[in-house]
Amino acid sequence: MTISLGKRCVAEAVGMFILVFFGTGAAIVTLMLAAGTTPATPFNIGIGALGGLGDWLAIGLAFGIAIAGSIYALGRISGCHINPAVTIALYATRRLPGKDVVPYIAAQLVGAAAASLLLAWVIGPDAVTIGGLGATAPFAGIGYLQAIVIEAIGTFLLMLVIMGVAVDERATPGFAGLMVGLAVAGIITTTGNLTGASLNPARTFGPYLGDWLLAGQSLWEFFPIYIIGPIVGAVLAAFLYDYLTSE
Amino acid sequence: MKCYYCALEGKDSEAVAICIVCGMGLCMDHIIRKDIDVWEGGYPLPSKRVKTPMPRILCPECYNALYAK
Ligand SMILES: [Zn+2]
Ligand SMILES: [Zn+2]
Repeated sequence: MTISLGKRCVAEAVGMFILVFFGTGAAIVTLMLAAGTTPATPFNIGIGALGGLGDWLAIGLAFGIAIAGSIYALGRISGCHINPAVTIALYATRRLPGKDVVPYIAAQLVGAAAASLLLAWVIGPDAVTIGGLGATAPFAGIGYLQAIVIEAIGTFLLMLVIMGVAVDERATPGFAGLMVGLAVAGIITTTGNLTGASLNPARTFGPYLGDWLLAGQSLWEFFPIYIIGPIVGAVLAAFLYDYLTSE
Repeated sequence: MKCYYCALEGKDSEAVAICIVCGMGLCMDHIIRKDIDVWEGGYPLPSKRVKTPMPRILCPECYNALYAK
């Protein structure tokens, strides 16, 4: 028997809270640090103004280390998906029972929303007005469809790593959290300045909700990018891995 | 094999089990059975407790060394 669904949902919410608090928190602080600088191009929104791609690596590592910590702390309780796309991919490949899917995703959304609202409160109004709560949106020159493809490719790599280092019973034990975290850091380094590198519908939901409630700024028109892209990428990776490893 | 504790008391009883830690033979009166829950799986799926725990036999001294508070 597994731990009760209620406790597993608490674990998902806590893990998601940690991901959004530390990950998007790093994006908010970077934007606040860069405030006042005059970026050379509209492609530069401030992240990258101080350290170029190093800014994105730092944000990626903030996400990655928070994710690794959550996986090691909570992985055996709920599975620590902390990502609706991962939950859906595990359900699609018949690893997670269907009745767990909605509660898991609801818990992830609650955890993400709590983190964004708490960030706004502990940092103050600048977190919203300057940091945008670390919300994701396509950067200048990146179209809607391109953004979906970028998010899909990023999440494809993330899910492929999860399949190889964690789902596969032949994987070397102990490395899953570290490698999944590092994969996220790497993906964010490359695609951060293209789409924000969400890879995760819940990670985008938290800041969107916060910006909307606290500043009346609606980014919901972009939300489908961060729902469709990650889910398509994660599901494709899970099925591809199963195909490649089947006899 | 004979029970170590009974032998200490000068009795001669057959051992029915061996302490998994120190290896001494134990009669039915001197075994302590301390089963272990087995959990399988884990990230990215919740780990599951296997229905039947794994039996484990300890002698009183090893039991005290491991579990006495
Ligand atoms: Zn013993
Ligand atoms: Zn005895």
